[in-house]
Amino acid sequence: MVPRASTTSDVFNAVGDVHRRAILDVLLTGEKPVGAIVRDVSMSQPQVSRHLRVLGEVGLVRCRADGRRRLYRLAPEQLQPLHDWVAKYERAINDRLDRIEDYLEELQRQGEGSGT
Amino acid sequence: MAPDRHGSAVIAFPNELEVVITREFDAPIALVFDVLTKPEHVSRWGATPPDRMTECSIDLRVGGSYHSSFVTGDGTVFSFNGIYLEVEPPVRTVETWHFNCWPDVEAVETMELQEHAGVTTFTWRLAFSDKAGRDHMTSFDGQQDSLDEMEYRLRSLLNPSRA
Repeated sequence: MVPRASTTSDVFNAVGDVHRRAILDVLLTGEKPVGAIVRDVSMSQPQVSRHLRVLGEVGLVRCRADGRRRLYRLAPEQLQPLHDWVAKYERAINDRLDRIEDYLEELQRQGEGSGT
Repeated sequence: MAPDRHGSAVIAFPNELEVVITREFDAPIALVFDVLTKPEHVSRWGATPPDRMTECSIDLRVGGSYHSSFVTGDGTVFSFNGIYLEVEPPVRTVETWHFNCWPDVEAVETMELQEHAGVTTFTWRLAFSDKAGRDHMTSFDGQQDSLDEMEYRLRSLLNPSRA
């Protein structure tokens, strides 16, 4: 399964793929070589390498050389736009649900008023 | 007096096709159901100022349709419509979901209510027919990478069809 090149241009699309999220999860525990990532996710090394390339292109994963090995680590600061987006999403949803809650309370207050 | 809030909504993406939002209300289930499904109630909370709700029709029976429209402060029109597939007051409705800004997207919306000790849990689930549909919410076009644009797209979600 080849990552779709056309949808990998930003952080949102990069994390939109379940396999890439699995790789990010593995990297949460620390810096790792490809072999260790392959062991932790059920994907082949070429698949993992392709996904790592996509994650690297959007800056979510950084790579450094350690002798002959290449070590990959998470660059969580690149998740900030995603965090901002989710926060905004949650705010907007809660605004709406708060209005429902306020309205429910208003109705119940009126109900009590008319009952006494 | 501060309203007795039951905390924030819980938003989940349980799989690649669905979005699920859960929230508790301090009200009996029958009242919550009415507030979510009767036009005279929905028109009271449906729009976020300065948006205005310009249409709200709900024919709450299997095969019945709903239609709602909103105009935002800058004149943008949003509308939602669909057909009820299941209607089980006061616990559940299932309906098709069409949003005018995403004409190619097919989705089915499920609203479920459950009451426990006077608190009603509202679960709103939107299931897209394909991943491209749900990607409308999570995709992020590199050319339009402003959060305001995302907010615009998300507004569609936040105006559930019955609203």
